[in-house]
Amino acid sequence: MPALLEIRGLSAGLRGRRAVTEVVSHVDLDVQAGEILGVVGESGCGKSTLATAIMRLLVPPQVLQSGALTLRLNDGKTFELLKLSESELRELRWRHLSYIPQGSMNSLNPVLRVGRQMMDTLLQHGLSSDEAYKRSVEALELVNLERKLLDSYPHELSGGMRQRVIIAAAVSMRPALIVADELTTALDVVTQRQILQELAAIRDELGATILLITHDMGVVAQVADRVAVMYAGKIAELGTVNGIFEAPLHPYSQGLIGSIPRGGGQRVEGLPGEAPSPWNYPSGCRFHPRCPQAFSPCQEQAPALLPQAAERWTACHLYDAEVAADA
Amino acid sequence: MTAASSSREAETNTAAGRRDVFHYALRRFGVYLFTLWAAITVAFFVFRLVPGDPMNILLGNLTRAEGRQRDKAAEEALIAHYRQIFGMDEPLPLQYVNYLRKAVLGGLDLGPSFVEYPAQTKDLVFRRMPWTIGIFTTSVLLAWILGTGLGALIGWLQRSRLSKLAVLLSTLLQITPVYLVALGLIIYVGYSWRLLPAGGPYARHLQPAWTWEFISSLLTHAILPMLSNIIVIGAGFTLGMRALMISVLGEDYLTFARAKGLSPYTVLKDYAFRNALIPQVTALAIIVGATLNGTFIIEVLFQLPGLGTLFVQAMGLRDFNTMQAVVLFSIFAVLTLTLIVDLALPLLDPRVRRAA
Repeated sequence: MPALLEIRGLSAGLRGRRAVTEVVSHVDLDVQAGEILGVVGESGCGKSTLATAIMRLLVPPQVLQSGALTLRLNDGKTFELLKLSESELRELRWRHLSYIPQGSMNSLNPVLRVGRQMMDTLLQHGLSSDEAYKRSVEALELVNLERKLLDSYPHELSGGMRQRVIIAAAVSMRPALIVADELTTALDVVTQRQILQELAAIRDELGATILLITHDMGVVAQVADRVAVMYAGKIAELGTVNGIFEAPLHPYSQGLIGSIPRGGGQRVEGLPGEAPSPWNYPSGCRFHPRCPQAFSPCQEQAPALLPQAAERWTACHLYDAEVAADA
Repeated sequence: MTAASSSREAETNTAAGRRDVFHYALRRFGVYLFTLWAAITVAFFVFRLVPGDPMNILLGNLTRAEGRQRDKAAEEALIAHYRQIFGMDEPLPLQYVNYLRKAVLGGLDLGPSFVEYPAQTKDLVFRRMPWTIGIFTTSVLLAWILGTGLGALIGWLQRSRLSKLAVLLSTLLQITPVYLVALGLIIYVGYSWRLLPAGGPYARHLQPAWTWEFISSLLTHAILPMLSNIIVIGAGFTLGMRALMISVLGEDYLTFARAKGLSPYTVLKDYAFRNALIPQVTALAIIVGATLNGTFIIEVLFQLPGLGTLFVQAMGLRDFNTMQAVVLFSIFAVLTLTLIVDLALPLLDPRVRRAA
C-alpha cells in the first residue's frame, strides 16, 4: 500500500546574508495511513522545521530548499504539496491536512470566542453554519469538552482546555493527516496522559493519521506505532516503537533510550555533549563527536539510512557491512 | 451560528461580564475625577510660582494709557484694591480653597480675567474652545484613522519595497516638529503657490453666518492647520500600527490561522488587525495628551482665535486666571477624551472586561 504522505529528499534551512544554512537535510520518510508516527529528537534537531515544511508554513528567513511531498488520499486523490498554489493549499488545509502547532497555549486568537475560531474555518471550507456548529460540538466531545466552551474566550480556559480546543479544531473536518508539533510540552503529566489517550482514541474513531513531533521519548512510547529518531537534521533511525525501544541500533537511539528514567534506583545515563547547531553540523556522520562507538569512516563519510531488519532503517556505519569492512 | 448555542450558563456569563464592565467603568471614572483634581491643584500653584507680579504689569498698562505722573501712594492703594477684587490679598492656601469652591460649587466660576476685567475667564475660554476642540479632535481622529489603516497595510506587506519606502517617509515626518511642517505649509502652499488660505479663521470680509460662503471659507481655512497636525501625528500612528502588526504577525495564533486555511482577508481582519488595534487605541489615548500643545502652536502660526492664542496673550500679561482657565479646560478636554477611549477598550478586548 502506498504511503499517505511520502517525504522525499526534503531539505529546509535558514537564509542568511551569504548562504542558506541547512536545518533539515534530505529527509526521506513515509507516513503510512492510519498510523501514529513519532518524530523524536533533541531541541534544535530540525523536527519542528520538518513539521512546518510539511504544512508549508515556513516563513522567511526559513526556506524550503528541495524535495517532494506527496499526499495520497484513500479516495485516490494525490497532491504534490510543494507544487500547490496558495489558494489550492488553503482549500487542502484543514480538509485533508491539519496542524497542531507548537505553543498551543498561544494559538488561539485572544479576541474571538472559541466557537467563532473553530467555525470560521469550517464556514470558509463551505460548510453551512448549522453543519459547522454540529461539527464543532462533535469535535469538542471527542476531546471531552462541553459545548458551552464555544461561548468562551481563550483566556477563560486552562492550558489543558486550550490544548484540547486546538485538537478539536484540528480534527473537526476529519482530515486524513494531522501534524502535531510538541502536543503536550507545556502540560502537566496527568493532563498530558489524558490528552495522549484522547489523541489515540481520535485516531481509532476517525481513522486519522498522526505525525507526532516531540522531544519526549515517553510520549512516543505511550501512543506511537512507529518512531523516527532525528539527529542534526537527519533521520538516524526508523522503526516500530517496540523494535526501537527493545533493541535500539543507532548509538544515538541507544543514548536517548538510556536517558529515560526507569525508577528502581537506577542512575539515568545521559548523552555526553550537546546537539550541534545547524551552523556547525560536523562533517561525516553528524553524531560522531558524541558517539561512543565512532571509528575512522564516521568523520569523513555520512552514513545512509539503510534497511537493517524488517521495519527498521538505521543510518550508522556500524551496520554498513561495506564501510565496516573497509575500515 | 448562535442558533443552538445559548444555554443558561452563557446567559449568566454575559450578566457577569456586564457587571465587570460596569465596575471597570466606575473605577475608571474615579481615576478620572482624581486626575482632574490633581491637575487643577498643580496648575493653581505652578502659575503662582511664575516670577512677575500681574498687578504691576496691570498698573503699568493703566498709567501708560492714562499718561499721568506716577503717584506712589495712589499706586499702592490701587494695587491693594485690585488684589482685593481678584482675591489675592488672602494667604495662598485660602485662595486655593476659595478657587476650588467657586470652580466646583459656583458653576465653573474661575474668576475674572485680570486684563479684560470684568470679563469672566470662563466666557473667554468658552468663546475660544470650539476652535481648538474642532481643529484638534478632527485632526487627531483623522490622523489616527489614516495612520492605523496605512500602518496595518505596510505592516502586513512588511517585506515589499513600497512598504519600506513608507516606513522611511513616516519616520522622517514623525521626527519633524509640527511647527516646521506648519511653516512649510504656510510658506509653500499658502504664499508661494497660493493654493489655500494660510492665516485667520475665515476670509476677512465675512461675518459668521449659516451661509455656504462662510462655511466653505471656514473649511478651506481649516485645511492647512489640520493638515500640519495630521501629517506629524498620522506618521506616528502609522509607525506605531506597523510595529504592532508585525509583532502580531509573529504570534502563534497567526500561524494557526494560516494553517487553518483561512483566506488572507480573514486572517488580516479578524486575527491580525483586531489584535493590533487594542494597543493602538491605547496609543490614541496617550497621543491625545501629548499633541494638544502642538495644536496650540499651530493656532498661533495660523492666527486662529483658539485657546492657544488666548494662552500666549495671557502669558505675556501674567493673567493668571486666564492661563489657569485655559490649562484647566485643556486638561478637562484631554482627560475626557482619554476616558472615552479607555471606556471603548472593553468593547475590543475581552480580557479587559475580566480584569475588573
